Amino acid sequence: MSLELGPYELRLLTVAGCYALPVLGYQLVFGHAGALSLAQGAFFGLGAYATALLATRWGWGFLATFPASILVPVALAALVAAPVLRLRSHYFALATLGIAQVVLLAAVNWTELTGGANGLAGVPGVVFAGVPVPRGWPMLALVWGLVLAVMLASHLALRGRWSRAFALLRARPLAAAAIGLDEGRMRLAAFLASAACAGAGGALYVHTLRVVSPEALGFPVMVACLAMSVIGGAKHVLGAPLGALLLVHLPEWFRFLDLYRNVAYGAALLAAIVLAPSGIAGALARALPRRAAPAPKPQAPPAPRRPRADEGPLLAIDGLAKSFGGVRALDGVALSLRPGEILGLIGPNGSGKTTLLNLVSGFETPDRGAIRLAGARIDAMPPHAIARSGVGRTFQTPALVEEMSALDAVSLARGKELVAARPEAMHFLAEVGIGAEAAAEKVGRLPFGLRRRVELARALALQPRLLLLDEPASGLTAGEREALGNLLRRLAGQGLGLLVVEHDMPFLLGLAHRVACLDEGRLIALGTPAEVRRAPAVIAAYLGEAA
Amino acid sequence: MTTLLLQLLLNALALGAAYALIALGFVLVLNATSAVNFAQGDMVMAGGYVAIALAAVLPLPGIALLPVVAVLMAALGALLSLLAYFPLIGRPPVAVFISTIALGVMLEGSANAIFGAEPRAAPALVGAGAIELAGIHLPYQRLAIVALASLLILLQHLLFAKTQLGRRLRAVAQDREMARALGIAAAPLIAGTFALGTGLAGAAGLLLANEWFVTPTEGTNYILKAYIAVTIGGWGSVPGAVVGALLVALFEVGVSSALSYSVATALLYAAVLAILFFRPQGIFGEAAQARA
Repeated sequence: MSLELGPYELRLLTVAGCYALPVLGYQLVFGHAGALSLAQGAFFGLGAYATALLATRWGWGFLATFPASILVPVALAALVAAPVLRLRSHYFALATLGIAQVVLLAAVNWTELTGGANGLAGVPGVVFAGVPVPRGWPMLALVWGLVLAVMLASHLALRGRWSRAFALLRARPLAAAAIGLDEGRMRLAAFLASAACAGAGGALYVHTLRVVSPEALGFPVMVACLAMSVIGGAKHVLGAPLGALLLVHLPEWFRFLDLYRNVAYGAALLAAIVLAPSGIAGALARALPRRAAPAPKPQAPPAPRRPRADEGPLLAIDGLAKSFGGVRALDGVALSLRPGEILGLIGPNGSGKTTLLNLVSGFETPDRGAIRLAGARIDAMPPHAIARSGVGRTFQTPALVEEMSALDAVSLARGKELVAARPEAMHFLAEVGIGAEAAAEKVGRLPFGLRRRVELARALALQPRLLLLDEPASGLTAGEREALGNLLRRLAGQGLGLLVVEHDMPFLLGLAHRVACLDEGRLIALGTPAEVRRAPAVIAAYLGEAA
Repeated sequence: MTTLLLQLLLNALALGAAYALIALGFVLVLNATSAVNFAQGDMVMAGGYVAIALAAVLPLPGIALLPVVAVLMAALGALLSLLAYFPLIGRPPVAVFISTIALGVMLEGSANAIFGAEPRAAPALVGAGAIELAGIHLPYQRLAIVALASLLILLQHLLFAKTQLGRRLRAVAQDREMARALGIAAAPLIAGTFALGTGLAGAAGLLLANEWFVTPTEGTNYILKAYIAVTIGGWGSVPGAVVGALLVALFEVGVSSALSYSVATALLYAAVLAILFFRPQGIFGEAAQARA
C-alpha cells in the first residue's frame, strides 16, 4: 500500500462506505419499488443509536451489536409496513416522514436513554471476535468489504427477473398483478431490505465516528441518501458507491464556498434530477453497448390439465353489483362460461363491461354477488392470486414496459428465472405469430398490432383456464383481426374459456359462441350472436330509446 | 377555566390561521400541477427571514412589511417554478417532489449562511400590548394574525371565485389540456400559481416569525403541518386545507398545553398514521386524482 492518504482522507472514504450501505437499500425501495420513502435516514440513525446504546450502556461486543443494529430498524419497518406500504405515493412519503420525525423526537427528548441533543459519546471501535479493527485502512476495508458484499447480493438478487418485475410494477401495477406478481410482498421485501442496509450503515458509521447525536437520524441524512441515489443512479448497484463517494467529498471540494456548501449540495441534487435523472451509473450503462439476449429456441412447457366442458361452468357470476360513488356500474349481473366457450361481452360505452372484467380480475371488489372459478369463490381474492389460479387478461391499451424486450415481457409471466423462462416464452410468442427477431426487440419499437400480440402471449404464458380480453381487435388491421380470430378459436378448442369485450361487432359476432349485452350495468340480453343481434333491447340500447 | 380555554382557543386560531395560509398555497400548487411542492415549508422560513432583513432596512411594523414580503416571496415562487417544475414536465410526479426537496435544501443552506442557526424574531405586526376583555388577555399580535390571515384567505377566495384570472387558474387546475384547447396559456398561470402559493407561505412566515421565531431548519416542520392539513382536509380540497390546518393547530395547542410540544407533535404524526391506516384515501377522500 503506497497510497498517500492521511487519517482524514481515510475517514472520509470510510464514511462514504457507511453511506453507500443505506443508499444500496434505498435503491431497492425507491429505485426499484418506486416508493419515495422518507424514513431511510431514520433507519440509518436507529442502527447508529442501537450500536451506541448497546455498546456503551451494556458493553455488548460488535458481533452482538451489529446484528441488533440491523434488526431494530427492520423491526420498525415491519411494524409500520402494514399501514404504510399500501398507501399511494404522496401519502407514503408523508407517512414515512412522520415516522422519521417521531424517531427524531424520541432521540431528542428521551434524554435518560439517548443522551438527548448531546447524544452518546465513547462508542468503542469494532472488535471482531477478539481482534480490534482500528480506524484507518482496517476499518475502511471492513466497511467497503461489506459494501461490496451487499452490492453483489443486490446485483445477484435483481439481475434478470426481479429488476424487470419491479419495472413492470412501477410502470403498470395492474399488469404486474395480472401476471401473478404480488405487489405487496415485493414492496415489503424492498422496504425491509432497505431498513436492514440502513441499520448496517448506521452501525458502522457510529463505530467510525465513535459518537452519535440526533443529527444521525435527521432529515439531512435522509436528503443525503436521496441525493446519493439520484446522482449516483437509483437502479444500478454501482450508483450507490458512486453517489456516496461523490456527495461525501462534495463539501470538501466546495470548501471555498464555506458556509454555502449546503447550497451547492441542493444545487447538485436539483441539477441531477433535471439533467441526468438516471444518474451517473445510468449514463454509464447507456454508454456501454449492451447486446440484447438472443431469442432461444421455443420450448413448450408441459400442458396444464384443462377442465372439460362437462365438468360444470368454468366461470360463474351471480348477482354481481358494483357502484362507484352514486353510479351503479354493475347491477345484479349473472353470467356463466363453460370451458372451451367464447363469450362475447358487448354494450354501449359506460355500460359496465370493463368493470365486469376488473371484478373478475380482482382489481375491484364487488359490493354484492359472487364470482366462482371452477366452483371456487374468487371474489375476495387479491388480483395476483386470481391470476395464479388461472385467469389471464389483456387491457384496452397494451400494458407493457416500453424499454423491455417482448421476450422478457412474456418471460415474466412464467414465474421463474429468465434463463428457464425464455424458451417457454418463445413458445407462447410463436403461438401468437411473433418470431425471434421481433421477440428480441424492445416493446416500445414494435408496431401497435404486435404489442397487442405480445400482451396476449404474456397472458397465455400464465397457462390460464380463463382468458379475459378487453377489446383485443381494436387498432388491428383486417389481416391481423382474422389471424386473431383464428388464434382465439384454436385456444377455445384447447379447452380455454374466453370472455371477450369488443366493439367490433362483425369480428365478435363471427367469433363468439354466445354474446351477453350490458346496458347501464344490467344484463339485457344473452344468447347466440344471431339472437342477440335481433333482440329489441339490444337495438334500443345501441340506437337510443326511440328504437 | 373558561378564560384559559378561550385563551388557548385564540392561540390555536392564530397558529391555525397561519398554517392555513401554508396549506392553502400547497394545495393550490398541487391542484394546478398535480405535484407536491416540498419547498413550501422552507418558503415559510424564507418569508420570516425576508421580513427580518426588510425590517433592518425599513423599521416599520410587520403589517406594513407584509405586502412587500408577500410580493418578494411571490417572485421567489415564480423562480421556483422555473427551476424545479417546468424542466420536469412530463416526468413522473416524484421528480418534482425531489427537485423541490433540493430547492428546500438550498434555501435552508442560504438562511443558515446569512442569518446563522440561532432563532430570530421578525417585527410584531402592530406592536406589543393586548386587549383585556372580560378578564381574557387578547394580545394584539395574535388578533392581528387571525385578522390578516383571514383577509388573505378571503382575497384568495375572491380571486378564484370572482375574477377572470381566477376562472382561468381554476380551468388550468381542472384540466390543463382542455384549458390549452380553449386558448388559455397554461404556463404563465402555473407560474402564477406557484407565485401565489409561495406568497401565502411567505406571509405566513412573517406572521409566525414574531412569536414563534424562525430558524433555518424549521421548514420540515411546516411542510409536515401543511401536508397533514391537506391529508386531513381531503387531498386537493381548498376549503379542506383550511379546515385541516385549523384542526392541526387545535390539536397541537391543546395537547401541548396538557402535555408538551414534543409529545403533541409525536401524537399528531401518530394520529395521521392511524388515519391513513383506517382511511388510506384520507378522511374526506381525494378531490384530486392519484398523483405525487
